[in-house]
Amino acid sequence: MPSQLSFAGFAWKNLWRRRLRTLLTLCGIGMAIGAFVALVGFSRSFESEWLRLYSSSGTDIAVVDKNFMNSSVDQGVVAKVRAVPLVEEATPLIFNIMDLTPEVNAIVFGWLDDTYEFNSLTFTSGGRFHNGKPEAIIGDTLARNLNKKVGDPLEMQGSTFTVVGIFHGGTALEAGAVILPLDQMQQLSSMQGKVSGVHVHLRPIPAGETQEHYFKRAQAAIEAVVPGLDAQLASDRATNNQFVDLAHAVAWGTSAIALFVGILGIANTMAMSVFERTREIGILRAIGWKSWRVMMLIETEATVLGFAGGILGIGAGWAGLRLLAYLPKTNIFVSATLTPAHLLESMAISVLSGIIAGAYPAWRGAHLSPIEALRHD
Amino acid sequence: MISPQLEVRNLRKSYDDGRIEALRGVNLTINAGEYVAISGASGSGKSTLLHLLGGLDVATTGEVLFEGATLGTTIDLDEYRAHRIGFIFQAFYLLPTLNALENVQVPMLAMSDSSGTRAERAEALLRELGLEHRLHQYPNELSAGERQRVAIARALANHPSILLADEPTGNLDSVNSARIMEILTGIQKKRGMTLIIVTHENDIANAAPRHIRIRDGRIEP
Repeated sequence: MPSQLSFAGFAWKNLWRRRLRTLLTLCGIGMAIGAFVALVGFSRSFESEWLRLYSSSGTDIAVVDKNFMNSSVDQGVVAKVRAVPLVEEATPLIFNIMDLTPEVNAIVFGWLDDTYEFNSLTFTSGGRFHNGKPEAIIGDTLARNLNKKVGDPLEMQGSTFTVVGIFHGGTALEAGAVILPLDQMQQLSSMQGKVSGVHVHLRPIPAGETQEHYFKRAQAAIEAVVPGLDAQLASDRATNNQFVDLAHAVAWGTSAIALFVGILGIANTMAMSVFERTREIGILRAIGWKSWRVMMLIETEATVLGFAGGILGIGAGWAGLRLLAYLPKTNIFVSATLTPAHLLESMAISVLSGIIAGAYPAWRGAHLSPIEALRHD
Repeated sequence: MISPQLEVRNLRKSYDDGRIEALRGVNLTINAGEYVAISGASGSGKSTLLHLLGGLDVATTGEVLFEGATLGTTIDLDEYRAHRIGFIFQAFYLLPTLNALENVQVPMLAMSDSSGTRAERAEALLRELGLEHRLHQYPNELSAGERQRVAIARALANHPSILLADEPTGNLDSVNSARIMEILTGIQKKRGMTLIIVTHENDIANAAPRHIRIRDGRIEP
């Protein structure tokens, strides 16, 4: 069988004739997609960790004021929330992000020593702290980062705590966290009598009532006893909080800049290619190729660049995310997980970038006059 | 009465806002299966006429008719070039990234044939032109005569009814020139195609059954 020439094969041969330029362009779009995969993957992983943080602990509703980052609620509201008939358990908490060392920071929680949220933790050594004592429990990732074990002192904001337990958290946020007795955390944060919010675990859903309806009813009942505060569904709170919004904004903003540069790279390559191959385009037109077919050829080349750049970028992004999930500075916020939807989205963006970048060069190439193109030096 | 295959009516082509007139009112008819040579000095307008006949360019005024239908209005120029015309150029114009076999398949990519059919036809054409041992060579690995034979095979790929050759021997030595002319006239006779050759070589022009001379954009009487 003689060697067969396909349309895609022709496009590939055109790209491969300038190997270095093609490879450099692939690196450009690959880095852009890699940044997208890693950064957006990081922010989504962060969001997912928040969601898992709530779901693994059994929290259905969070009672907070309207400002997520600096939510400050009078601790007296806990008793009012507990009195709501639909509430099984209500527990106050404080959280904050603190530098433990110049290289390591962590989310620090303040819990009561009998909160239901302990149910999501599995102690690998030691056990719970006691209210009123300068004790701390830490996640296993943080313990590894800080090289701490049970009995070791932990310095925080000028105070010393004793590590009494190391736990395996269900999420990266827990595994990288410090949990102190609520009163100790209030002292450390100068929040005496105040908490960041109240986590609520509801009673089982009555038969015949949908979860959505039940949760809405519970929200209304809680907000009725604590006027001025929000009773937010845990899932909403996890996905629509300012930490997550900030992470998404930074990730998408940085990725957009990288993608723009990547698109410019492909556009430049294709424009150069069309210019260099002006006479060849004239030959194609002379032997009967319609302008749309020439356009398709150039667009196919740009799309191949986008596709190959996407594969390269996904590999690079995966490696980047693994690195972020390993580094002590960031491993407390994310786990190195990429969802199939994110990979598909990354590939689609990469291919779309190729198509967009190739559009103008393709249009220009397709609209060259055949005779003018043949005369081109 | 049978209409001519090609008819040129008062064809004019000017460049540079009319300051340069390449063709100044050409009228011409060519019947199917004719072998016509067009000669003239450099800049006489002979290549311009060929390009207009082949639908590569459009006239400033006047019209070219193919089988009674006007090019560019009744007949789409791309369709015309794809199905009716086979071009052969002085500089061969092969695509450097493709081997001989692939170059011949390029015009067929615009057709609906399967890739297997395309490849088989390309191979058959190259065999017909004596290039069966050069199928996988790239243009830079072929001699000038071989390149022109590949270009002829490519021109025949889509079964055109008219072959247009613009100085097909211009880059060849005398031995290869004779071989290429032998091939072209052989194809014209065997397939009953119309062959229109633009040349400045008197030997080639005089050997054609019909010889049209162009001077200063006009056909000499």
